[in-house]
Amino acid sequence: MINKVKKILPILLAVSVLLSCTERIDLPLDESSVRLVVEGSVTTNPGVQTIYLTETTDYYYNQKPPVVTGADVTITDGQNLFILSETSPGIYQTSSDFTSKEGFTYTLNIKLIKPIGGFSEFNASSVLKPLISLDSAATTFFEDFGEQGLWEVNCWFQDQQTTDFYRFDIYRNSHLVTHKLEKWLVTDDKFFNGDYVNGGTISYLEQSSDNEKLVRGDMLIVEMSSISREFYNYIQDAQAELRGSNPLFSGPGANVRGNISNGAIGFFAAYPVSRVMIIVP
Amino acid sequence: MTQYSLALFGADADTLLQQKSIILSGYVSDAENGERLAGVTVIETNLRTGVSTDAYGFYSLNLPSGKWDIQLSSIGYKTVNHSGLSTRNTIHDFTLERSETQLGEVIIEAKRTDENVRAPAMGMVKLDVKTIKTIPSLLGEIDVVRVLQLLPGVQSTSEGSTGFSVRGGGSDQNLILLDDASVYNSGHMLGFFSIFNNDAVKNVTLYKGDIPAAYGGRLSSLLDVEMKEGNPGKIGVAGSIGTISSKLTIDGPIIRDRTTFLIGARRTYADIFLPLAKEEDLRDNKLYFWDLNLKLSHVLNDKNRLYLTGYSGMDVFKNDYSIVGFGNTTGTLRWNHIISGSLFMNLSMVYSRYNYDLGTPEDGTGSFSFLWASYISDYQPRLDFTHLLTDKHKLRYGISLNYHKFFPGEINGIGSSTGRSYFRLPSSNALESGIYVSDEFKVAGNLTLKYGLRFSMFQNIGPGTSYKYDSEYIPVDSISFPSGEIFNTYTAFEPRFAFTYLLNELSSIKGSYSHTVQFITLAQNSSSGTPLNIWFPASPNVEPQLCDQFSIGYFRNILNDMYEISGEVYYKNFRRVIDFRDHAELFLNQYLEGELRTGNGNSYGIETLIRKNEGFFTGWLSYTYARSFRIVPEINNGKRYPSIYDKPHSVNLVTTFALTRRIAASATWTYATGLPLTLPTGRAVLGNSIIPVYTDRNSYRMDDYHRLDLSFTLKGKEKAGKKWHSDLNLSIYNVYNRHNAWAINIVPDETNPYVTYAEKTYLFAVIPALTWNIRF
Repeated sequence: MINKVKKILPILLAVSVLLSCTERIDLPLDESSVRLVVEGSVTTNPGVQTIYLTETTDYYYNQKPPVVTGADVTITDGQNLFILSETSPGIYQTSSDFTSKEGFTYTLNIKLIKPIGGFSEFNASSVLKPLISLDSAATTFFEDFGEQGLWEVNCWFQDQQTTDFYRFDIYRNSHLVTHKLEKWLVTDDKFFNGDYVNGGTISYLEQSSDNEKLVRGDMLIVEMSSISREFYNYIQDAQAELRGSNPLFSGPGANVRGNISNGAIGFFAAYPVSRVMIIVP
Repeated sequence: MTQYSLALFGADADTLLQQKSIILSGYVSDAENGERLAGVTVIETNLRTGVSTDAYGFYSLNLPSGKWDIQLSSIGYKTVNHSGLSTRNTIHDFTLERSETQLGEVIIEAKRTDENVRAPAMGMVKLDVKTIKTIPSLLGEIDVVRVLQLLPGVQSTSEGSTGFSVRGGGSDQNLILLDDASVYNSGHMLGFFSIFNNDAVKNVTLYKGDIPAAYGGRLSSLLDVEMKEGNPGKIGVAGSIGTISSKLTIDGPIIRDRTTFLIGARRTYADIFLPLAKEEDLRDNKLYFWDLNLKLSHVLNDKNRLYLTGYSGMDVFKNDYSIVGFGNTTGTLRWNHIISGSLFMNLSMVYSRYNYDLGTPEDGTGSFSFLWASYISDYQPRLDFTHLLTDKHKLRYGISLNYHKFFPGEINGIGSSTGRSYFRLPSSNALESGIYVSDEFKVAGNLTLKYGLRFSMFQNIGPGTSYKYDSEYIPVDSISFPSGEIFNTYTAFEPRFAFTYLLNELSSIKGSYSHTVQFITLAQNSSSGTPLNIWFPASPNVEPQLCDQFSIGYFRNILNDMYEISGEVYYKNFRRVIDFRDHAELFLNQYLEGELRTGNGNSYGIETLIRKNEGFFTGWLSYTYARSFRIVPEINNGKRYPSIYDKPHSVNLVTTFALTRRIAASATWTYATGLPLTLPTGRAVLGNSIIPVYTDRNSYRMDDYHRLDLSFTLKGKEKAGKKWHSDLNLSIYNVYNRHNAWAINIVPDETNPYVTYAEKTYLFAVIPALTWNIRF
């Protein structure tokens, strides 16, 4: 799939790496006004759903972002209103009996005690798409690739005729391997639209990385989420920013597209999740 | 218009003229190697009227019937005087002998000393490749494009790159021609070398402003590279052995004085240094390129000549996982025909192709293996006439048809797992045609006008697919067109106008206006780009880009023509200029058109130059003030932003000293304001990662760029009867080891992910290189 092609592009970079050196520089940056940062989701995984509220900072803030406390946070599916409670500073959660349904539009509403960026109320909505089931998953070891070999993770599912976007997450023994935005696995369906995906590659787990290292007998959970175009765009944009810039491939840096109103940054997403569990052979 | 239609029937016009005057015409060539000489001044000494030879070394003079005395002169050659008597049109060829040139002489225009002031051309520079060999080079490869980048108005697009921006235009706005064939990617490696092997190149002309009406299709410049022809008299060999490359060029007669050949080959072996790489992964990589140049010429008779040019080049990068190959192939078959002494015809068939392949090596295993292939190709017949209507009017007219085929990409073996083994981006075809007429009119002794009109047409031809996009640029529908159907047509008139007004013998004012249209665009939003070029055509969704350029300049020679000074001011207005949305997805995207955002732009500047062409010390100093901006409603919140080619100040100093008869030293110093850069003004933490927050596009700058290069050339001892000549060149790039930024990134600290620091990537530290050149 496309990940494979993307993996190979850096060969061109290798040429420049060959000639290049890097050094730290002192780079003063301007400051901009503070904006609200929202991150959260509603998924078909039963239980608590979480919304995180923080603030933007100067670029060289060099610590965890300040949290936004005391806000009124609610989610509605058009029929029911769910009130989220602040379980720890800046973290707002539903009760554990929360369930979500396919085809519903979920709307997040945030009311702040004191305005950020001139606004004290923010909204975002997301449609929870119909579930696409992940039939199965498998892993294969390739010894010759990477420093200590790598595990290819493959999966099987029926793609729909529509334009679809997927996010995959991998857990190893309940540890989330895809724990950072830059590790999130997303793809559109342009290489397989409408096809049965018969062992498509979703990830290569580098065995030289502690985070990705697998041992025979490990339990692996693969989650597949059918996400919206907007959420896919948000992840693509954020990952482009995280890859950093080089004069070969990168355009100018730019803000990540989100779906929160009134100039807030981040994304509120609703999506169905299908999961399979396998044992590393 | 009646004048023009008369002109089309050259023979009739000729008969009319014959009653009053005769036409003396012919070719001028180098006595030593038979190369046709362009820009030689041919003057009738009694009448004091004259012309310059054209690109083929052809001259044509209108003279009264009877006795004539002509003088031929050119810098670097001995002046020739010749007299004759003609009552009918006469063909007379001349050869010029080289004058003793000093080693280290840098001539960037082979011309009369006061041509700078007189020539009815502005914004034009011509490099005579023979004479730039002492200028410092990167890794020992003297590169004509790198020398052009030292001239005012021409900027390198990124550190070390031979990609260039002319007067604030995009790097894809330069029409680069190798004997009339378009070169779609003029760079080897990552643009660190141009594809032009200087042993096989005769001369290089860059038009920054007043692009001749004969050419169209690009907004900002024309770079016309002419390949050398073989010596009709004897076999010659030139070669060099360098630090990372070697080359060999052989030329000579196949049939003496009738048929000549030139064959040039170059191969780099940059990968010999790879075992020294810090990163182990890189050590067994392959990294090289080769070039092959071929030129054949054949004299059928004194009125007909044939030329065949071929170029092919390929870059290869290879490691354990992947292999990338890319290169250009071009071919030109040309027939020069003298219809009459005043009418010269050129019929060419041109082929050009740029392709790249990216994939896994053949032994790539299982589901890893795939191959991505892409190309763009041109098939172009063109017919051009040069017509000396009277001694005051020199007409050029012609027609060209260029059939483009775009094959943006096909991937085989993308996943045996998906039941589909390939992915193909829709290919497309287009016909780009042009018809033009221009006139160089000597109104009076001190005023020359050049005006012309080009009519261009661009047609998308099926089979093809056109997508429809909604207001969010999401594709909602597609229409397919059958093979051969013309489903979209754009037309444009492109007027060109220029004047040269001599204030006195030593100074002149020149001005020009040009309107240019560009139908095909390179999808690239980074500064240096990759060899994975995606050229896309104008289409129902993409309108052609337009540019109007106004320029005016003052030219003056001082101290007995020893120094020339010039100042030019220009203003360019771009309309429907294409930029790309934030985070545009350019690779393997069949909905590429949905990534485009169009707007307007402008660029303006002042270019000043002082140059010394002769003597112990030669060179030039230039200062340029230049700005380049874009306004695209959907980018940067509709606010004006500097384009990535905006470098307000630049200074270039090029000096060469002929220290002794055998030793020359040369130094170049270049300075430019740092490239514009978009940097964050804040950050958000999302998904446990630091996401930058931006305010304005391109509102920061990299540190200023500056660099000193040196070179020393030692010429081998000359002895009487010695058959071969050699010289040794030591070039030092970036002498004071300035770490000029190639990229700037802000990266997270390895231990604490909330701590970030800025990091600069630079490419070239001090790089010495030794090259041994030999010729016999």
